[in-house]
Amino acid sequence: MKRRPAPVLRAALALALLLGAALPAAAYIGPGAGFAFLSSFLVLFLTFFLAIFSFLSWPFRFLWRALRGQKAYKHSQVDKIVILGLDGMEPTIAEKFMAEGKLPNLSRLKKDGTYARLQTTIPSISPVAWSSFMTGSEPSKHNIFDFLSRDPKTYLPDLSSARIGKPKKVLSLGKYNIPISKPEIRGLRKSVPFWKLLGEQGIFSTILRVPITFPPEKFNGHLLSGMCTPDLKGSQGTFAFYTSDPQKIHRREGGLAVPVTVEGNAVNTFISGPDNTLLKSGGEIRIPMTIRLDPERDEAVVEVDGQSLRLKKGVFSPWTGLVFKPGLGIKVRSIARFLVTGVRPHFEMYVTPLNIDPEKPALPISHPFIYSVYLAKLLGRFITLGEANDTWALNEGVLSEEAFLELTYSNHREWEAMLFNAVKKTRKGLVVCVFETTDSIQHMFYRYLDKAHPALKTGQAKMGASVIEDLYRRMDDLVGRVEKTLGDKSALIVMSDHGFKSFRRGVNLNSWLWKNGYLHLKEGTSGDGEWFKDVDWTRTKAYALGLGGLYLNLKGREAQGIVGPGAEAAALKAKLMSKLAGLKDDAGGQVGINILFDRDVVYRGPYRENAPDLIVGYAEGYRASWDSVTGKVTPSVFEDNLKAWSGDHCIDPRVVPGVLFMNRKTNGRPPSIMDIAPTVMDLFGLAAPAHMDGRSLLAAESGADKKAASQPLERPGKKGRP
Amino acid sequence: MNVFNAAVSGLFDLLLAPFRSLSPWIALAVVSLLTGFLMLSIYRRASNQDGIRRVKNRIKAHLLELRLFKNDLGVSLRAQGSILAANLKYIGYAFKPLLVMIVPVLLILIQLNDWFGSRPLRAGEQALVKVRLAEGYSPIETDLRLEASAGLVVETPPLRIEEDREVDWRIRAESPGVRELILRWADQSAAKKVVVEDGRLARVSTAKVRTNIWREISHPGEKSLPSDSPVTTFEVRYPERRLGLFGIGVHWLVAYFVLSIILGFAFKGVFKVTL
Repeated sequence: MKRRPAPVLRAALALALLLGAALPAAAYIGPGAGFAFLSSFLVLFLTFFLAIFSFLSWPFRFLWRALRGQKAYKHSQVDKIVILGLDGMEPTIAEKFMAEGKLPNLSRLKKDGTYARLQTTIPSISPVAWSSFMTGSEPSKHNIFDFLSRDPKTYLPDLSSARIGKPKKVLSLGKYNIPISKPEIRGLRKSVPFWKLLGEQGIFSTILRVPITFPPEKFNGHLLSGMCTPDLKGSQGTFAFYTSDPQKIHRREGGLAVPVTVEGNAVNTFISGPDNTLLKSGGEIRIPMTIRLDPERDEAVVEVDGQSLRLKKGVFSPWTGLVFKPGLGIKVRSIARFLVTGVRPHFEMYVTPLNIDPEKPALPISHPFIYSVYLAKLLGRFITLGEANDTWALNEGVLSEEAFLELTYSNHREWEAMLFNAVKKTRKGLVVCVFETTDSIQHMFYRYLDKAHPALKTGQAKMGASVIEDLYRRMDDLVGRVEKTLGDKSALIVMSDHGFKSFRRGVNLNSWLWKNGYLHLKEGTSGDGEWFKDVDWTRTKAYALGLGGLYLNLKGREAQGIVGPGAEAAALKAKLMSKLAGLKDDAGGQVGINILFDRDVVYRGPYRENAPDLIVGYAEGYRASWDSVTGKVTPSVFEDNLKAWSGDHCIDPRVVPGVLFMNRKTNGRPPSIMDIAPTVMDLFGLAAPAHMDGRSLLAAESGADKKAASQPLERPGKKGRP
Repeated sequence: MNVFNAAVSGLFDLLLAPFRSLSPWIALAVVSLLTGFLMLSIYRRASNQDGIRRVKNRIKAHLLELRLFKNDLGVSLRAQGSILAANLKYIGYAFKPLLVMIVPVLLILIQLNDWFGSRPLRAGEQALVKVRLAEGYSPIETDLRLEASAGLVVETPPLRIEEDREVDWRIRAESPGVRELILRWADQSAAKKVVVEDGRLARVSTAKVRTNIWREISHPGEKSLPSDSPVTTFEVRYPERRLGLFGIGVHWLVAYFVLSIILGFAFKGVFKVTL
């Protein structure tokens, strides 16, 4: 009896016949068919090759993992953990909306699992808090104390999280300096993220946009860097604002104002790119750009880098590739979006910061390197800049509130797509995604929740409190959608790194130090020079830098230090703490500073010496003033905050805890952000390493972290003196 | 159709004239390059470039997925399924430009077949001449006579094959140049060119055909026979041409296919085409 071929075999035969028939056809109709069929066959060939390789090698890989003794999931309570980081979600707002029934998904998590206010770090700043989240440690163990650190040799600020330097070895050839070694790209965050520890035990993780993950570190999983990933210019985000209105040409914080002239409805200008490090003479690399205006239709055609974009006023372009050519055939790729904000009487256009192109990244932004390429190919181009949402463009009046929201939610949708892709592809393991949407929108719209906010009287305050409500509702909806994808053996954690409060008044600590004789200015200067340009260091005892740091001008540490270490420094710190804690606003008499934290009391880790000597805990409604952050001295200590950036969290950490929601019951102990890492490890049945300061929050432990879970925890932060 | 054929053939004759004394590979490479350009510009206009870009990106993404999720058999299998599905979609996207391209490519191939499909006779070489008659005409009853111009010799009397309505002769080429055969019947006649090799690349029209749009399109090298002619095809059986490559004879169609694809891919960036 003749046997009929099996269905699989029949299908294979049919496919072979189809391919066989296609070949002569392709040959007959020439190159057009060739283009299509050749590519298709190449793909088919590659797919089958990879499939066979994958099948054949799988048992060996499985055996290898078993032999290496990885204990993945042996004692695990869960298959999968998803952590949604909603940066800056404020507990009082969430609680209010939950009580009003506006956040059904978060309310359900609270009812069936856990809800608590989450203690944040000292200081309560995102890079610090998220570093503590990932390492389970207090800041002096991970070495991140602010966005900025300072170089004691120059008193100038440095980015605290990463250092990007030029290549050490270059070949000098004519007008070129050709790099022959890799540029220095070094992360400054210390300690070990918990996903690396999980990976060592065979638990796979996908980490999306967690702050302070640039440059990406190797581990068993995928990672896309978040906050602190630079733009192509090496900055934390430099937008460009083109305008033909001479009155709008002035210095723009966080961006460039480019004056243009309209000649016969055309504008000839350029995109300002990164510095040309290939040329000995240096200089900015530029891409010429021509904009043809159509005032009748209220639109413009932007011709740039061989592309033509027809842009209606007020409508963002899609991500557009821009290739900078420093010379010698080298190409540096970026992506940007364009928004024409005015055609007449003046032409105005906003261009986003030049993001590193995820498809061909100029710097490593993911681990493995191909992960960002994969995401871009699968989901389309996406924002890669760490500080993704352009708060400065709104602050400086370049973007309207509506445009800012549109851009921010557009970025948010890109991250959601990445998250859902990761959740779908992770059968077992960990997925973490941090959304900065909550942080950015609250920073820029918090004034609508505070009727006394001075910025409501100025600027473009057209919207209302519904912006924040809409934000919280959207986040609740996101939580609901994620929850739907999870099974019974999945844990969901929704958390924020800190909360939010209104930022009504700025406190210039440098001005206070100057007025009280701790800081001196050079003769004949006013103090308005940035980065302590006017400061006379030979007579200065203390200075403030960044969002909460106060430094002593210490002998042997600072280049021109005058305060002796030991007793003299301790006495000075004590004096400053007693004078500044409870400092009252000269207008209204409210307390502007609650507390100062002495680093020698609150920190115990090996990097304590890199921390500011004192960390300032501003009272609700106050924060370091804009000028204070950049080392300027102004005549008054307190000033109104008139910017759209009207909410903040860089204050007394006790006032701005974050939120913690979980679909599991915890042991009821007040949680800290440092507890998340050991809790995740406990859920996976692994013991947290001794260096972690946090402890598992699980009610019924797996046994891995029983020792400390039920004990009351002494938090370093609680030792601060009010 | 004669005018159209003359125009297209004239264009190709003009195009290839500078390369006739050179290796046929050079002439073929030039045509491949130009047709590659033509195809690229057609592809760019006729295809859904955004769709192709999207689907190619998806294919690449799923290929990367195989590498990124190599330890997860389920994800790998789904990725392979997605690649196959996306590949089918890609072929679908290529279908429309293919349809648009068929017409010009067909015309080009017909012209190239005249130039590279057969080689001219060499002096002293023999060839068959075949004349096929229309339905209703008998090769025995129709008085067909074949005459040759100087440089050609008709070597045999006619061989009449009744069942095929065909009359055959054997001719021999004597000296290089474009010669002529004249076929006579009743008071009518038809002339057919015969190319005898002079060392240069030449158009070789193998057959002269009776007026019929499809047959005329496929035989553009000579003016067609009148529609009432009893003769439907007046054909010389030339030897097939092979292009020499490291001692191997390559069919011109294979050479053209490979060259035009390579050149098309090489210049796709210049034309900003996603293939």
